Amino acid sequence: MMRRKYIRSVLSVFAESPFRPLHMHAEKGADATRKLSEALEAYCAGDMARVEELSSEINVIEHEADVIKQTIRSQLKSSIMLPVNADDLLDFLKPQDAIPDTAQDVAYWLTLRKCELPDVIRDGLLELMSKSAETVEMYETLVDKLSELLETSFSKKEVKQTLAIVPQVEELEHEVDVIETNLVKTIFKHEDELGGAGVYHLAELVKVIGDIADKSEHAADRLRTMILRR
Amino acid sequence: MDFFDPVVIALGLAGLYMAWNIGANDLANAMGTSVGSGALSIKQVIIIAGVFEFVGAVFFGKRVTSTIAKGIVPIDTIKLIDPHLVVVGMLAAILAAGFWITFATFYNLPVSTSHSIVGAVLGFGLVSAHSGIIAYADINWLVLAKIVGSWLLSPLLGAAFAYLIFVLIRSLILQRADDPYAVEKKFVFLQVLTACYIAFAHGSNDVANAVGPLSAALSTLGLTDGTVPIWILAVGGVGMVIGLATWGYRVIETIGTKITDLTPTRGFAAQFATATVVIVHSYGSLPISTTHTLVGSVIGVGLAGGLAAVDLSVIGKIISSWIITVPVAALTAALIFTGLMGIGI
Repeated sequence: MMRRKYIRSVLSVFAESPFRPLHMHAEKGADATRKLSEALEAYCAGDMARVEELSSEINVIEHEADVIKQTIRSQLKSSIMLPVNADDLLDFLKPQDAIPDTAQDVAYWLTLRKCELPDVIRDGLLELMSKSAETVEMYETLVDKLSELLETSFSKKEVKQTLAIVPQVEELEHEVDVIETNLVKTIFKHEDELGGAGVYHLAELVKVIGDIADKSEHAADRLRTMILRR
Repeated sequence: MDFFDPVVIALGLAGLYMAWNIGANDLANAMGTSVGSGALSIKQVIIIAGVFEFVGAVFFGKRVTSTIAKGIVPIDTIKLIDPHLVVVGMLAAILAAGFWITFATFYNLPVSTSHSIVGAVLGFGLVSAHSGIIAYADINWLVLAKIVGSWLLSPLLGAAFAYLIFVLIRSLILQRADDPYAVEKKFVFLQVLTACYIAFAHGSNDVANAVGPLSAALSTLGLTDGTVPIWILAVGGVGMVIGLATWGYRVIETIGTKITDLTPTRGFAAQFATATVVIVHSYGSLPISTTHTLVGSVIGVGLAGGLAAVDLSVIGKIISSWIITVPVAALTAALIFTGLMGIGI
């Protein structure tokens, strides 16, 4: 590249698309969740060294997601015209950013306390995690459709197909809620065995794992708003 | 005075420099969108642009050239007093426009060569009126008003037309297709056609910026029959093609690698709209900015929801470049003219 280019160009009318980094950002959330599933398995197997290792990997992913988020925000000056409302886009970026954040929280809680788990609780945790992860995966499918929406410039058919994924994310999140409620009950049934600290730790863990699905559902909802209000 | 008079040679060289500059920047901008959308390689674009720019300049460049040469300043009236005044005045005009364009390009300002040359020729007219050679009323204000009006109108027309074309493409083709990416592949061919079209349109309008003053001088000296001869347009055409080949490819490269968002359907809409608006103005003998029209067209595609992100702050930059270009070019031309006359040229 020449330092001082002898160029008059139309380039300045083309702004950086926020949609590519938005997609990358969504992938960070899914990556963090996959790592977290691994971390929970290691936790249940009592391999705390592996949990620590995965937790720091999740920290790195979360940080990368933050950098992407900041880039998107800094590029959206008021003069930028998008095919969607910029405020809606930012409203949707926020819950999407909460996905890797929450994954980071869960990983942190896992590192806090080693725990001898009764089988029923361990299975419950793994089931909750896999359902939460499934919600995030479904959310990722939804975000994948965004590029096609842009390509057809929001054709009715593509919009319909994309919006059809949102209720699926909502359904999965509902299933997560059900597992969550039952699991908390089971934890309290075992309170003598687990001790106060154990119950507190597990109840909090269940809550944050459930939050991952919550945030995905929230982001999916915001994405729908963004598409419908454009 | 004849062809080999130093002042005439200087006019020819300044015209060639202007042509080089137009080819290197404006033509490259108009063509860059074809490379950005992947429709053509840089080599193919240069060949297509070279051929069609030249053809546009030679066969359709006469009208705008004669506007620049004698539509604004009454050179026939000035000629009666002294033909030499016209030759020096036109030399001052092309030098002023050339300086301003060179400066603007170094600072990457979205300045138009058309605006610069119109401002510079006007500067020559004003200084002639100021020194009593002609009356202020002799300057063709009506034509000037039409030209300035067309500068405001052409980007708006580009935007409206590009908007319409893209909305049609979207509702008739994109939204009905099973695979939108296959549609883009088909539009690659259409974009080859619009690349030819836009080069032709650009040549027909912008050749005037380079050879208008030369044409005025030669006709004043009686070296041509008063109309714009084809060989002058050919000189301008060659200059622009050389500009594209020697420098424009870098501009195309820079643009092409950065505007990957402009897929063939979007590129087609923007280029077709731009070329059509420009050619209509060439037909109406009005010198407009292809680049500004292209920016308008791109914004039109963006307004239709066709682009991921458009930066509207460019509108402010373009408007300020309008406001600044005409006075600066006019004043520079007036100063150069006074200076040249002062040192006895």
